Amino acid sequence: MCIRSPKDFWAGLIFIAIGSGFILLAQQYRLGDLHRMGPAMFPTLVGALLAALGAVVALRSFVLVGAAVPRFYARPIGVSVLAIVLFGIALQWLGLVAAVAVLVLVGAQASREARLLETLALAAVMIAFSVAVFVWLLGLPLPLWPDS
Amino acid sequence: METLSNLAFGLGIALSWQNILYCFIGCFLGTLVGVLPGIGPVATVAMLLPFTFGLEPAPALIMLAGIYYGAQYGGSTTAILVNIPGESSSVVTTLDGHQMARRGRAGPALGIAAIGSFIAGCIATLVVAFFAPPLAEIALKFGPADYFSLMVFGLVAAVVLARGSLLKAIAMVCFGILLGLIGTDVNSGVIRFAFGWPELTDGIGFVALAMAFFGITDVIFNLEHEATRSAAITHVTGLLPSREDWKRIIWPIMRGTALGSALGILPGGGAILASFASYSLEKKLSKTPERFGQGAIEGVAAPESANNAGAQTSFIPMLTLGIPANPVMALMIGALMIQGIQPGPTIITEQATLFWGVVVSMWIGNVFLLILNLPLIGLWVRMITVPYRLLFPAIMVFCAIGVFSISNTVFDVYLMALFGLLGYVFHKLGCEPTPLLLGFILGPPMEEFLRRALVLSEGSPVVLVREPLSAMLLAVAAVLLASVLLPTIAKKRAETFVSEG
Repeated sequence: MCIRSPKDFWAGLIFIAIGSGFILLAQQYRLGDLHRMGPAMFPTLVGALLAALGAVVALRSFVLVGAAVPRFYARPIGVSVLAIVLFGIALQWLGLVAAVAVLVLVGAQASREARLLETLALAAVMIAFSVAVFVWLLGLPLPLWPDS
Repeated sequence: METLSNLAFGLGIALSWQNILYCFIGCFLGTLVGVLPGIGPVATVAMLLPFTFGLEPAPALIMLAGIYYGAQYGGSTTAILVNIPGESSSVVTTLDGHQMARRGRAGPALGIAAIGSFIAGCIATLVVAFFAPPLAEIALKFGPADYFSLMVFGLVAAVVLARGSLLKAIAMVCFGILLGLIGTDVNSGVIRFAFGWPELTDGIGFVALAMAFFGITDVIFNLEHEATRSAAITHVTGLLPSREDWKRIIWPIMRGTALGSALGILPGGGAILASFASYSLEKKLSKTPERFGQGAIEGVAAPESANNAGAQTSFIPMLTLGIPANPVMALMIGALMIQGIQPGPTIITEQATLFWGVVVSMWIGNVFLLILNLPLIGLWVRMITVPYRLLFPAIMVFCAIGVFSISNTVFDVYLMALFGLLGYVFHKLGCEPTPLLLGFILGPPMEEFLRRALVLSEGSPVVLVREPLSAMLLAVAAVLLASVLLPTIAKKRAETFVSEG
């Protein structure tokens, strides 16, 4: 027995996990019956279907030959996600100007080609653009600075 | 002749200076962003969504529609000049379009794409005007069981017509449905799967989900393949096709339009399938199929027309049934719901201004695209040459601000980061995000219609096959599923996508 289609194997496992996770979580709600479907009924049905499909996909990966999982590159995904989370934190506590600065300065590092001066200039342009377009032109309720 | 008077009514609405302005802004911004390499129509529409928040429903939808065609056309420009398809529906355009460009015929290739799209757009607008109202009238008679089965059919059609593994696509639909169920259950008032977070009471924000899967994930993937980008062709002359070219392309444009209009109405494939199918059709009909892939002018004209026609007719199921044919339509439904409008069969009568205004402005949008694209090509070329390292931080800023401004909570920003990560993992495992988004939109109404159908039938699931329409839809869905699982047809399906891609 060996895994011949690693992509399918892992995808199947994830589907089983998600499907059974939703089924388990749904048990705290009322199931009801078909005549009066409770809040747990539909998620349980769909979760079961998802877990079953996951099982088929995972089992099939032992039989059908498929592609290997492509390499994960830590830098683009790690830096991007970090930059967006930092944007959220900065926006809540420090306002839009700081948040955009953080997002551009950190986010730009997701690329290997990032250059310092260029990134600083881009941050300045994006701050000016966001404030002018989103806050002044469109009037979106975004805090500009930390509220003291 | 009721349609004609309705079109005249719509013309009056679409021609108000305000709506013309928003249509123009939409087309312009859509092309401007869509032309940027690596940004498809879904990401473009999602990123520009905040620009429509302050507007009334009609101008908002008119502007969004303009953004959509603009993005689609911008994607073709990039496909021709840089050989990078903005999204899967312009993959086919890269084949012959980019070859033409490399042979010094970039101008005519762009010109044909614009003219083909324009002709297709004009015809498809009429298709929408004539077909949507009768379809809505039929839909008004649908019972809850019919609606449930219609949604099942829509989702099945979507996964069957899409590329990639069928089982994984259905699994993604299920995951999407489950994500859609997070939040308050309308029937019992129970808040489901919220883990005590008050931000999840109203469910997961659709825009956060769409931007994560189509904006953030795409950025990350483009960064992984930074080095492989080919140089853009920036020398563009002589946009108008010659007399000889015209003779060659007029029928491909017509066939592309017909095929695109028909496939666009179907839930699922829409523009993507239409462009692939029309390319194969032209290659089969051609006396010199060996020219395809070497810069055949028909290979640009037909898929571009099909693409645009499909984009337009995909509004029909969205506006009349509330069923999204593709992720962009799912975003439009999201945008309408933000405006407090539930898309469905009553929209044509209850929101006549909105409906007919949007239909006519589709045509006006196509005129704008033609006007914008040909003279402004220099501007688009300059946009294309912006290096990606400057582009992607800007995309992230747009996504982040856009997501925040919809709900005014940073919670959605974190959700976007989380789903970006998830989308990345799924992408690596060969699972497409589109079925997930469609399931997400259709999950809650499916649960509600199933519940109502079962209440009416006193708990007997047989009702789904006893109602004639519902039974027919389920049967068609079953046939579709079976056809893909059967080896011969499955091979054919793989061929349509693989041999061209």
